[in-house]
Amino acid sequence: MNIVKLAWRNLWRRKRRTLITTFSIGFGVLLAVTFTGMGDYGYTNMINAGADMGLGHVTVEPLSYNDSPALDKRLSDSTQIRKQVLQLPGVDDAVVRIMGQAMFASARKSIGGMFVAIDPQQESEAHNLFIRSMIEGELFSSSEGRGIVVGSRITEKLGLKLGKKLVYTTSDVNGDIVSAIARIQGIFKTGVKEIDGAMVLLPIDSVRATLNYADDDATFVSVLVKDQRYSQKIKHLVEQSVGAANREVLSWKETQPDLAGLIAIDRSGNYISQVLISLLIAAGILNTLLMSVMERTKEFGVMMAIGMSPRRLFQLIMTESVWLALVGLVVGIIITIPWYLYLYHVGLDFSGAIGEDYSAGGVLVDPVMRIRLYRESIIAILSGVFLLTLISGLYPAWRATRTPPVESLKTL
Amino acid sequence: MNTKPGNHIVSMRQVNKIYRQGKVEVRAVNDLSLNIEKGDFAALCGPSGSGKTTALNMIGGLDVPSSGSIFLENNNLAELSRYELSVLRRDRIGFVFQAYNLVPVMTAYENAEFVLKLQGVPERECRQRTMAILREVGLEGLEHRRPDEMSGGQQQRVAIARAIVTRPAIVLADEPTANVDSATAESLLDLMQLLNREESVTFLFSTHDPRVMDRARRLIRLVDGHLESDEIRQ
Repeated sequence: MNIVKLAWRNLWRRKRRTLITTFSIGFGVLLAVTFTGMGDYGYTNMINAGADMGLGHVTVEPLSYNDSPALDKRLSDSTQIRKQVLQLPGVDDAVVRIMGQAMFASARKSIGGMFVAIDPQQESEAHNLFIRSMIEGELFSSSEGRGIVVGSRITEKLGLKLGKKLVYTTSDVNGDIVSAIARIQGIFKTGVKEIDGAMVLLPIDSVRATLNYADDDATFVSVLVKDQRYSQKIKHLVEQSVGAANREVLSWKETQPDLAGLIAIDRSGNYISQVLISLLIAAGILNTLLMSVMERTKEFGVMMAIGMSPRRLFQLIMTESVWLALVGLVVGIIITIPWYLYLYHVGLDFSGAIGEDYSAGGVLVDPVMRIRLYRESIIAILSGVFLLTLISGLYPAWRATRTPPVESLKTL
Repeated sequence: MNTKPGNHIVSMRQVNKIYRQGKVEVRAVNDLSLNIEKGDFAALCGPSGSGKTTALNMIGGLDVPSSGSIFLENNNLAELSRYELSVLRRDRIGFVFQAYNLVPVMTAYENAEFVLKLQGVPERECRQRTMAILREVGLEGLEHRRPDEMSGGQQQRVAIARAIVTRPAIVLADEPTANVDSATAESLLDLMQLLNREESVTFLFSTHDPRVMDRARRLIRLVDGHLESDEIRQ
C-alpha cells in the first residue's frame, strides 16, 4: 500500500474527529471568503464611487494642481490627451473636466461650493455619480448654454427648484472675479450631505468662456479604468503615453488620500482578524494531528522497527495533513458556495443600523453588505488554508519521527 | 568464542545497557557477549527483568548499548545513522512482536507486503512474494481481512509473514506466543520451525514460554542481564 492510500485510511480512523476538523477548516474558508469578499466588494465600490465623483481612477492634471488646486492651473491640450489615453489597454473611458470653487447665489442667499464642468457628450451615468444620482430634471445636452445640475441640498439652502436661476461666481484664469447665470436643469441626490450641499455640474464650454479659458483648456482629464485593481499599472501606461514636464499623472490613491488611508486601515484590520481566525483554526488542526500522532506512537514505533525511515514517516503524516486540507477545502467550498451566492446576489441590509446615506472617506457606502471575490483572492484563500493545514502538520510529523522506536514500543 | 563479527549474523561484545530511573541506575544488560549463527533457532530466556527484550531491541538497532558493540552482518550498529539503521532493519531484520502490532487500517495482504513496498520492490514481484508468503503461513483466502477481523493466531501469522517476506538475515521475535492460546502457540511454533528448517530463516526469540524453550535448538539463559548459560541442543 502506498503512503497516499495509507494516509487516507489513517485519516478516517476517527471519523468524528476528522469531520469536526474538516468542518473547522471549512468554516475557516467561509470566514475568509466573507471577510475577503466584503473587502473586495466594498473597497472596489468605494474606489469606483470615488472615481465617479470627478477625478477618475487616474488623473492627468497640471503640475502641482493636486497640492493646491487653482483655476489658473490648466491643461492646454486636453482633447489630445483624452484621445491618446482612450487608446490604452484597460482604460474604459476618459473625460475632460474643469473643477473649481465657486459661490452660488439665489436672490435671497448665497453659499460656497464646487463645480465640475463637463461635456455631456463625453459623460455617462456609469462613470459619473452625479448623473446617475439625478432625482429631478435632466442633464444639459450641450457643452454650451446655461444649464446647471445641482445637489438637492443646494436647492434647499438657496430656496430654489427646477427651472430657477442661480448665479455662480468664481475667479478666472487671470484671478479676476467672474460671474455667470445658470438655470437649474436637474437635481441630484447622492445621499452624502456634504456633496449634495456643495456640488454642481456645469457645461464645460460655458465655463471655459466664463473663465477665459481657451477651447481646449481643462483642469484635468479623468481616466476611468475597467478594473480598479490595475489603476497603478494604467497610471504608468498613461504616464508613458501623455507624460510631460508641465503635467503629472496621479492615481486615485494620490488624489484621494483620505479614501486610500481609510481602505488601508480597514484592510489591515481585516487582515488581523483573518490572521487571528487562522491561528484559532490552525490550533484546532494542530490539536487533531497531534492527538492522532500521540495515539499512534506505538504504531509508528513498529513501522520504524520494521524499516520505515523517519523521513518516510514524516511524509506519511504530512500526507495525512494534505488529505485533511483537501477534504477541509472541499467541505469549505460546499458550505461556502450557498452563503457566497446569497451575499453576492441579495446581501445583508444594514440600512436600519447605519442609515441609507452612510459615507466614509467622503464616499457613499452601500448599506447593503454584499461580497465579491476576485480570482486572486480565491486562490489566496484556498492556498492559504491549504498551507495553514500543512504547517499545522509539521510539528506532529516532526514529533512522530523524533520518538525513538524503542520508546514507542514501550507503550505496548 | 569467536569474536570476529564477519563469521556470525549477530555478534555482541561486552554489551552493557544501563537505564536511569531517577537517581537509581538499573543495569538491564550486563557485560553480554554473544554470537548468533545463521540458521539458529535460538531463545533468549530468563525471568522478567533479566534483559531479554533489551538485548533483542539492541540487536535490532531499536536501542543502543551504554557500552560494548553489536555487529549485524559485519555492520557495527553504533556506526550507523538513524537512516542507515532503518534501512538495515528494513532489509535484514524481521520483527515479530508479542502484541502482533499490525497496522489496523491495512488488510492482511497489505500488512504482509508493507516492508516490500518500503523496499521499493516492483508491484508484480511484490504481489507474487506476498501471496506466496501468505500461503506459506497458512493465510490463503484471508488476505483481504483487516486485523480486527482475524483471530490472535491469524494476526501473529500475518506478523510472521511480514517479518519473513523480505528474506531477512534474522527474525527477532519478542514473546511471540505470549498473547495466544496453547494450540495457537504450538501451531505458530510449528510454522516458525518449518521456516527455519526449510528456508533456513534464523530466529532469535525472547521468551519465558516453556513451549518456545522446548522447541529452541539453542537456549541462551539470562539472569540480571548477565549470560548465565548458552546451551545448544540437538
